[in-house]
Amino acid sequence: MEGVTDALNADAVQSLASGAPEWLQNRRLDAWATYERTPMPSTRLEEWRYTDLSRLLELDSLEPLPWSKRTFDRASAPASLDAALEADREASGRVVELDGSVAHVELDADLAEKGVRLLSLRDAVEEIPEVLERRLATEALPATDGKFQALNAALWQDGIVLVVPRGVRMEDPIRVTRHVSRTGQAIFSRVLIVAEPGSQVSFVDEIVSEDLEEQTLFSSAVEIFAEDAAQVQYVSLQRMGRGAFHLAQQRTIAGKDSTLDTLNVTMGASISRLDLNARLMGPGANSDMLGLCFGDGDQHFDHNTSQDHDAPHTHSDLLYKGALDDRARSVFRGIIRVAKGSQQTDAYQTNRNLLLSEHARADSLPNLEIEADDVRCSHGATVGQLDQDHLFYLMSRGLSRPQAERLVVIGFLGEVLQRLPLGGVVEKVSRGIEEKLNG
Amino acid sequence: MPQNEVVQDLGLDEYKYHFITEDEPVFRSGRGLNEKVVREISAQKDEPQWMLDFRLKALEIYNSKPMPTWGGDLSNLENVLEDIFFYVRPQDKMEHSWDDVPPNIKETFERLGIPEAEQKVLAGVGAQYESEMVYHSLKKEWDDKGVIFDSIEDGLKNHPELFREYFGTVIPAADNKFSAMNAAVWSGGSFVYIPKGVELDTPLQAYFRVNQEQMGQFERTLIIAEEGSKAHYIEGCTAPVYSTESFHSGVIEIVVKPGAHFRYTTIQNWSNNMYNLVTQRAMVHENATMEWLDGNLGSKLTMKYPSCYLMGEGAHGSVLSIAYSGDGQHQDTGGKVVHAAPNTTSQIVSKSISKGTGRSTYRGLCQVHEGATNAKSNVECDALLINETSRTDTYPYIEIEEKKSNIGHEATVSKVGDEQLFYLMSRGMSEEEAMALIVRGFIEPIAKLLPLEYAVELNRLIELEMEGSVG
Amino acid sequence: MSDAPILSIRNLHAKVADEDIEILHGVDLDLNKGEIHAIMGPNGSGKSTLAKLLAGHPGYEVTDGTVTYKGEDVLELEPDERSQAGIFLAFQYPVEVPGVSIANFLRTALQARLDEGEEIDLFDFQDQLMSAMEVLEMDPAFAERPVNDGFSGGEKKRNEILQMAMLKPTLALMDETDSGLDIDALQVVAEGVNRLSEENPEMTVLIITHYQRLLNYIKPDHVHVMVKGRIVRSGGPEVAEALESEGYEEFRTVGA
Repeated sequence: MEGVTDALNADAVQSLASGAPEWLQNRRLDAWATYERTPMPSTRLEEWRYTDLSRLLELDSLEPLPWSKRTFDRASAPASLDAALEADREASGRVVELDGSVAHVELDADLAEKGVRLLSLRDAVEEIPEVLERRLATEALPATDGKFQALNAALWQDGIVLVVPRGVRMEDPIRVTRHVSRTGQAIFSRVLIVAEPGSQVSFVDEIVSEDLEEQTLFSSAVEIFAEDAAQVQYVSLQRMGRGAFHLAQQRTIAGKDSTLDTLNVTMGASISRLDLNARLMGPGANSDMLGLCFGDGDQHFDHNTSQDHDAPHTHSDLLYKGALDDRARSVFRGIIRVAKGSQQTDAYQTNRNLLLSEHARADSLPNLEIEADDVRCSHGATVGQLDQDHLFYLMSRGLSRPQAERLVVIGFLGEVLQRLPLGGVVEKVSRGIEEKLNG
Repeated sequence: MPQNEVVQDLGLDEYKYHFITEDEPVFRSGRGLNEKVVREISAQKDEPQWMLDFRLKALEIYNSKPMPTWGGDLSNLENVLEDIFFYVRPQDKMEHSWDDVPPNIKETFERLGIPEAEQKVLAGVGAQYESEMVYHSLKKEWDDKGVIFDSIEDGLKNHPELFREYFGTVIPAADNKFSAMNAAVWSGGSFVYIPKGVELDTPLQAYFRVNQEQMGQFERTLIIAEEGSKAHYIEGCTAPVYSTESFHSGVIEIVVKPGAHFRYTTIQNWSNNMYNLVTQRAMVHENATMEWLDGNLGSKLTMKYPSCYLMGEGAHGSVLSIAYSGDGQHQDTGGKVVHAAPNTTSQIVSKSISKGTGRSTYRGLCQVHEGATNAKSNVECDALLINETSRTDTYPYIEIEEKKSNIGHEATVSKVGDEQLFYLMSRGMSEEEAMALIVRGFIEPIAKLLPLEYAVELNRLIELEMEGSVG
Repeated sequence: MSDAPILSIRNLHAKVADEDIEILHGVDLDLNKGEIHAIMGPNGSGKSTLAKLLAGHPGYEVTDGTVTYKGEDVLELEPDERSQAGIFLAFQYPVEVPGVSIANFLRTALQARLDEGEEIDLFDFQDQLMSAMEVLEMDPAFAERPVNDGFSGGEKKRNEILQMAMLKPTLALMDETDSGLDIDALQVVAEGVNRLSEENPEMTVLIITHYQRLLNYIKPDHVHVMVKGRIVRSGGPEVAEALESEGYEEFRTVGA
């Protein structure tokens, strides 16, 4: 039973499950059983080829952090959280999560009146059990999907649930800010977004922390449903400090004629692993999948994406870009799968990497599996250094070499942001890149 | 689906090499692979002790390695391997004149057009029938210049030191399960040595034929191209269609010394019940060039990824491939380039056509080691799907440890567009002509590099079959 | 300030970096303040190399000779230092910079000219940019487009002149600015340069061109003919006219 430790064990699950409704107890216990019988992923698995967990994940030293009632006081917010909130712009609703426990939720009164629900996962268990029983760790991220999906489904302590009723369109995003301060802990949190037919919502999910002395695991499981003709944008901004191991599993399920776009920005943590699966389930569904990462020091980023076209006339377009300095390393493994019968599908996948230092490394595995003939699919991947002609051109206009390099890097990564220009996000990310470039 | 029928008419599915030659081999090993078979093969060849030791060690490695779980469907292979003959000796000795080759075998090769081609356009010809080379000859002018083109067995006998210096160095037995298998039971193949500065102006050709039902062919080729030399080697493969599955697993090792230029062309048209699992690799030294040209048209399953290890500064490697997968076929092919020195360049271009239930997979690796500054690599894969039931996959691995390098990979998947067909037909072409034109245009960038002017084989397969079907 | 030339080139030899191909075989040239010079020459004569070299392109290496700008050796300066000293190269093939808008690019370039702690006035900047774009008949929306990314040939060249207008150089090097322009675009570009010249009479301009065409719109004070890495003839505008009618043939032997 790989991965069962003194702290992460059946007792821990039992104590979380006790007192919960029966369906939830069963779901946690089943998930734990799945976790126990699933082997720990090794580098022999294609999906984990470049991320050796036996070396990188210190499971034995991690303690699951119990839920606690936290209150949020802006005045005493730690620096990284304060800065993140300071830079935020208008929002339809806000959530603050501290060490995995939701501490503050607010929602525009008009929207609340229209039936929008924004609440902590714990509260949602009480208030909208029918939604959770149907959707939580079932269709999107069931425990049977993998070792860590199972672990999160068994041990989640809290999370965020958003339900947007039919036809409700939200002008401004929901902004979530999470902060982690407890070092050496394992935090399991979930997000569930249900956008009912014809609704519209943007969701910005930001996580920050100071540097953490011991390895700290933040496991995030994100499930998003865009029902017929709904429009959803999900943005994840990961700016954790060193010491963090950020493990994100995301699955998006796009119904007929819906649009479900994601942007994943990875700048922080020592190790960051993202598994993103976009499923295009209804004809006319559309998903743009954007990602950017900027690594320095000895950061290790691993992105594992998949685009599943299970209906005809579906469209997906992925663009992931990475800039890597110092000894940083990034892995991109992406796959487009076009199932039989998914005719008239367009699926694209592009991964571009910029190596800024001698010792940086980029691995790119853009894969295709196509079982329908009337499709347009392409993928491309490049790895290169800063273009000397670019630098000369900029320097010939008076920019110093570092300035020119900075501009090229910002331009390189900026292309991703331009495709999903969400208020506040562009500025935050641009500033984050600047900060990293300034070392 | 009219397009389906059209492609049927292109004749790519029609297998012209199904004829069985009635003969009785002079020796045949028992079925399956075991130590006894390995010792028998070695004894039959009267080999030195070191080679027997090498084979036995390789057998151990083979037994210790699991079957690959990636690539094609190998689930039935273990059953196949239990039933096949690993060694079949068709005649007592190898001949250097067609007149001395037994009539039934000679006729086989005549039907394949080999002796005729030899006279016209080849520098040398080798022909393998079952497990042994039955014929080998080299034009005198090249012989005089010190070129060696021999069966691998004669290479071992006649040039023992040269042979031992390089044998198994490019592809060690332990490289993969099938290279280990080949190392244990290898038989036949060529030994080629091109002396310093010698440039062959016409190609060497080896021809591989499997005639017996239920046998395995395990040829092994070792090629050394000395400094500044230049040569082109072509291999062609066919077999009759039996109801049971056969197995072919070759190992090709090539050493390309500084400044040399070597091209290796394969036109594989095995019958479509053949498992074809081949390891091909070249060590490419300073300013040398290695080109793999790989045409995979036949077999049930091919797994083959010709590779170039660019070991010296300025080395260049290229892998150009065409794969055609018809009903029930799976071509799992591609290429590997490893940049281990500065200023090395490489190119992989892969074109595949999948028809019916055919499946074409591109699998490739581009690796740039730290310190291989200014490495440049470009990979392009294009897949054409003819039917709804066809499938294509692309699995490129790109591993870059050097900042000063420039690596690109592009792939596209498309079908023959209705607009395209309509446009051509509106200019007066029949649907067949239009289809043939589009398919030919698709593979043209690679097909034009094939030595059409020489190889009977290639002409037949690439050009004539497609054109000939157009009424 | 004496009347010494603003740019003085002496016996300049240069080769392609990393290769032993000498392209300039001893060029001598003096440009005085406010003058407009043109260097004409056939393809491969080295005229573009000279322009790029003066801007500090890393692809070329000086093997002999000197280049003095405002009395100082410029060969040791980095491209950005030359730019800040007032040298501007309008590229023959402007480079695409995806993701960086023209406005952002120019703001950064102007900011780089200021001392630490100084900030450019964004309102002034915006006014300047818009009026410069108007002169060049550029759509204001262009300011937000990434530099040269997806631009047509003519748009790229206009963008070069726009940068020249904003950066206000002392010495403008125009490398084949006329190539790839239709006659309307050529007129707009030429008018832009003439206007800059009027606004700033001290600006020195060196036009590199194969054809006389551009010189119908921008009148040079001096015309030089370059063949095979040397200047083989210098004179007034009449030299360009002679070339137009006679071609480069007669000079090929001279330069050999």
